[in-house]
Amino acid sequence: MGEILNASFLLNLFMATIRIATPLLLVAIGELYSERAGMCNIGLDGLMSIGALIGFVVGYYTHNPWLAILAAGCVGILINMIYAIATISFGADQIVYGMAINILCPALAAFLYKILFSNTSKLLQGVTMASWNIPLLSRIPVIGDIFFKNSPLVYLAYLLIPLSYIFFYKTKAGLNYRAVGEYPRAAETLGINVTAKKYLSCIICGAMAAVGGAFLTVCYTNTYSEGIVAGRGFIALSAVIFGKWTPSGILMACMIFGFCDALQIRLQLVNSVVPYQLFQMIPYVFTLVILIIFGMKKLGPKANGVAYSREER
Amino acid sequence: MKKIKSCIVPLIAVLFAFTVGGIIMGCLGTNPFMAYAALFTGAFGNTSMIAQTLALACPLMFTSLAAAFAYKCGVFNLGGEGQFIMGALGAVTFIELTNAKGGIGIAVSVIIGVIVGGIWALIPGILKIKRGLNEMIVSIMLNYVATLIMSLVYTNIFRDGSIPQTSEVADSLKLPFISGNFRVHYGVVIALILGIVLYYIIFHTSYGFKVRAVGDNPVATKMNGYKVSFIMLSAFVISGAVAGMGGSVELLGKQFRLQSGFGAGFGFDGVAIALIAELNPIGALIVSFLFAVLRKGATALQVSMGVPTAIADIIQALIIIFAVGGTALEKRKQKRVKTKTVVTVKGKEMAA
Repeated sequence: MGEILNASFLLNLFMATIRIATPLLLVAIGELYSERAGMCNIGLDGLMSIGALIGFVVGYYTHNPWLAILAAGCVGILINMIYAIATISFGADQIVYGMAINILCPALAAFLYKILFSNTSKLLQGVTMASWNIPLLSRIPVIGDIFFKNSPLVYLAYLLIPLSYIFFYKTKAGLNYRAVGEYPRAAETLGINVTAKKYLSCIICGAMAAVGGAFLTVCYTNTYSEGIVAGRGFIALSAVIFGKWTPSGILMACMIFGFCDALQIRLQLVNSVVPYQLFQMIPYVFTLVILIIFGMKKLGPKANGVAYSREER
Repeated sequence: MKKIKSCIVPLIAVLFAFTVGGIIMGCLGTNPFMAYAALFTGAFGNTSMIAQTLALACPLMFTSLAAAFAYKCGVFNLGGEGQFIMGALGAVTFIELTNAKGGIGIAVSVIIGVIVGGIWALIPGILKIKRGLNEMIVSIMLNYVATLIMSLVYTNIFRDGSIPQTSEVADSLKLPFISGNFRVHYGVVIALILGIVLYYIIFHTSYGFKVRAVGDNPVATKMNGYKVSFIMLSAFVISGAVAGMGGSVELLGKQFRLQSGFGAGFGFDGVAIALIAELNPIGALIVSFLFAVLRKGATALQVSMGVPTAIADIIQALIIIFAVGGTALEKRKQKRVKTKTVVTVKGKEMAA
């Protein structure tokens, strides 16, 4: 047990926690904006997988990580428009279309990858986004290493938490936005354009989820393999629920999931007696245990997941 | 007439999906007509190919029936894959521990698959009704757990030699073929019978009526004195049992051993099939076959024309997108007509 508790082990553990929590956080914030407008999108996993592929491919050909992230975001928006048009304009079931996205996107990603790289069997390496060392702050021992020597997207993700909090709870626009998810009919009578807000929410969610996926292939590693997303979209979805649909709650949930995952990877390396599968189960089992303990009280937006039709009474 | 009408939307959706798939292949420089010809000859070319296609359809039939039954009751069981795997795991454990042989061995293995699958589905069911947890998230998390347990079994517990896989089941435990010329194992027959039985249960028994009532309007059903949470739980367990049976049948009929990738993707494919079939068990059997045709054909397509097999998955997803969107549009239209008539009737009353 001695090697588990030394300082460098802990330092590495916390650094890994931040790296692992970031994609979850990006995706979960996207889902928060979606669900706050009443759009329960379970297609996050799919959006992440196409984002991961597009990020990798664009990075591979252009060697520009920013272009890779941007392209992934745009494709994410495009794909999520299928979901948006079907659920908002046609009133189709949101869960069903989320599932459709989850089936379409990984297939699309696999298809594109085979078309583009079918001739090479070696492991292709794309680009990696360089990390930014924040001046002064990054020189603080331990804390500087953990928090201030990261990829720019990490800072973006953490910056979005207070910004989203201010938007949702301190501005009129945020109040209007939340009203769409709580009681769209009342919102409509107050002159809020419900349909426009819902479409906006899908644009944000599509972009954020795909960027979260691209983080995996542009920042976390620089390679792509099928199934790289590995259920992270669903973990982000449970982070929104566990975080009680608030920015600060989501931050906490993502950090806990990130910590679990970082811990299991480290334990696998240290331990060779216990089968590694037991460690790999930790994040999933932990998610379940957390959900069981805290329950899922109906704290979410009231009209979440419900199709809205202006003409219906 | 109504039955024919309900088939129109899915049929148009299939047509649309094939058209878009053809356009995608056309953009890549493959002649789509040649490609589809290769796809269908790959699936139907001769009796042996048809038999292979049916064998591919078999697990999909089970998982889609599982998904359809749960959704009829309004519970979204996305854990078909986990229940399928656990069913197969239960069967393997039984076979490894007892060295059972022959027909009795087959029967007990399948029954154990049913039980273990049902128990695995009981977890999200209980958590839903007792703790109010979202059954989709719980069942998906359990899929990952089941996959890891299976991996533990074939790499450690019942590992056979140097390769991470379990040993092949004894010949006497393999499901027999229907005939020597038409080499389809009897699992397909079990699936077809099960589909018909589930259809009968859903539409012609009082239990099925309750299941449908809970699915349509749980509040109203509760007001009428039915035990909604019990009905939901039972539907979840039956759904899991069907998927678990599929797992053990796939083990004894086609794969004969557990190894990496066993059951992967069958759960979500089952969900997709159930949705396209509009939750009708008979429809699910037919759509499962269509999906298997796509799969089998796509392999031939990759070999002969170099189109990646993922084209089959893309076409499947497109079918869902068009089918469900079309159904939603249809429903919205009907609602509009209804509200309009209500308004005009009211207007007439006012005038009188």
